[in-house]
Amino acid sequence: MAWFTDRHCFLLAVTFYGLSTLYSVFLWRKGFRRDEWVNYFLLAAGVALHTLAMFKRGLTLHSCPINNLYEATTFLLWTLGLACLIYSLLPRFKFLAAFTAPVLFTIGIFALMPSLDPPHGLKPEFSDALRSLHAATILQAYGAFGLAAVAAAMFLMQQHDLKLHKLRALLSLLPSMQRLELITFRLVAVGFVLLTIGLVAGWQLPRPEGKPYFFDTKVLWSALLWFIYLESLVAYKKFGRTSRRFAIGIIATFIFLLLTFWITNLYSGLHN
Amino acid sequence: MSVVVIGLSHRSAPVELRERFAFAGEKIPGALAALRASGLASECAILSTCNRVEIYAVTPLTAAAAFAELKKFLIAHQAYDGALGDELYSFAEPHSLHHLFKVASGLDSMVIGETEIFGQLKSAYELALAHQHTGARLNKAFQRAFNVAKHLRTATNIQRGSVSVMSAAVELAEKIFTALSEHEVLVIGAGETSEKTARALQSRGVKKITVTNRSPERAAALATELGGRAVPFEHWPDEFERIDIAISSTAAPQPILDRATLEPLMKRRKHRPLLLIDIAVPRDIDPAVSTLDNVYLYNVDDLQSIADDYLNLRKEEVARCEKIIAEKVAALLSANKFSRNAERTQD
Repeated sequence: MAWFTDRHCFLLAVTFYGLSTLYSVFLWRKGFRRDEWVNYFLLAAGVALHTLAMFKRGLTLHSCPINNLYEATTFLLWTLGLACLIYSLLPRFKFLAAFTAPVLFTIGIFALMPSLDPPHGLKPEFSDALRSLHAATILQAYGAFGLAAVAAAMFLMQQHDLKLHKLRALLSLLPSMQRLELITFRLVAVGFVLLTIGLVAGWQLPRPEGKPYFFDTKVLWSALLWFIYLESLVAYKKFGRTSRRFAIGIIATFIFLLLTFWITNLYSGLHN
Repeated sequence: MSVVVIGLSHRSAPVELRERFAFAGEKIPGALAALRASGLASECAILSTCNRVEIYAVTPLTAAAAFAELKKFLIAHQAYDGALGDELYSFAEPHSLHHLFKVASGLDSMVIGETEIFGQLKSAYELALAHQHTGARLNKAFQRAFNVAKHLRTATNIQRGSVSVMSAAVELAEKIFTALSEHEVLVIGAGETSEKTARALQSRGVKKITVTNRSPERAAALATELGGRAVPFEHWPDEFERIDIAISSTAAPQPILDRATLEPLMKRRKHRPLLLIDIAVPRDIDPAVSTLDNVYLYNVDDLQSIADDYLNLRKEEVARCEKIIAEKVAALLSANKFSRNAERTQD
């Protein structure tokens, strides 16, 4: 079984995410009317294989597997998948999997590109505890932001249906608008705290001579995200930003995060 | 020995006739005893509701003879002296069991899929059981009917959704708010429909209700009935900061709430979701308010349309339910246990 690497395992996980995405299309078409577990178990199988893939990579490296873009992306997806499985156990949140699976599948396919996973030897240079904390908390924060975007998408769909008096809004077994709004806010708040911890941990890390922390592309980008999420939370909680605008903002910010995550990594002196 | 049913319902007879044949609850045990004493039935149960009167009996007679005798019994017992055409229907096995299963599942009800009949049928059966007028055959038939009804409730959409304007409003509120007990309702106009809607919301947990009306006396009276408080009509916009659901049914010829009025109120509410139920005709609330974020406006037509859609959805499920019922009846009869076990118990 030596030929069966962690990448094969991840490929299998992405296949399950794909199956879950296909099943999600069926659930969307049916209007989320039946309370069932099929999609949850498909996603759970994907997350289990995903965990195994990360575990295998971690065993090989003897450290937390967050050392290149492939590993960072798979860690982000794993956080998102695991959080989705946990939140799906809440009453009426089982359909969260149907909204999360397409994100896991598309980014999973992207992560499988060989160029994102260059060989870095058995013991990467950057494998101490603080660096692992820095990378893990930041990627967990992105996972929380991702799940917040998924909950926000569910909110917008429900709001649209209720505003336009569509029967689908009543027939679906989705959570109430207020609950979706609360979950979105909490996930963003958790993500924000994790991002803050990750950035502070990164600040404490030793840097090459002449490379200031706040002049690195990735750090600037992360700081920008930090400000955007802070602004969203404050505007929503303190200045009465409407829930619709808050939800749109959270989705837009996460799309921005996904689209620029890899590019900023490539231009970052500290992360290359 | 087989199960037969004879009766009349909203499908076959007008209310004037149904009320002539209706049995008062306290008279049913006597009627059941008389029926068994006559030798017509060895087991029997009577279901009497506002929409149907039915006798379920296990009889040693042939179906045709049993129907004729049961009809005579019903007419004599209820002292009916009018003419009777085909208002009375009668079924022998397997149709009698099929009918019983349909009744238990609400498929034969005026509002398809309603659940009240399940409780009424259960009470009718328990009354007969308590007075020892049922035996193995009827016990099995009724218990199977209750099981089938429960199965249909979970396996199909036959009881899904709200088929009245009031319950549609409650369902909407539950789609927007997590716990209705934490939200306050404002009733604008102390009309009958708004009162019913407020009561429906109360039944789902709403605790705080504020009533306003042009006539302060009526507002106070309704507030007392609902256990809420009354506010002067000119002050109702001030309540918008606290309330989350408003039910409006005034007789005002022009809208009493428009976008320009609501927009600043929404800012004061910090854009918390607001459900507006406008059941007045002409409408009390300008439709333009629904363009505001977090405002959900439903008028009486919207609610009626939801109720109608649900009813259509239930009708679409009828064929599926009928198929399941046919399978369950066939299973009950084909196992042969139904007849044999029943007769063995009788011996």
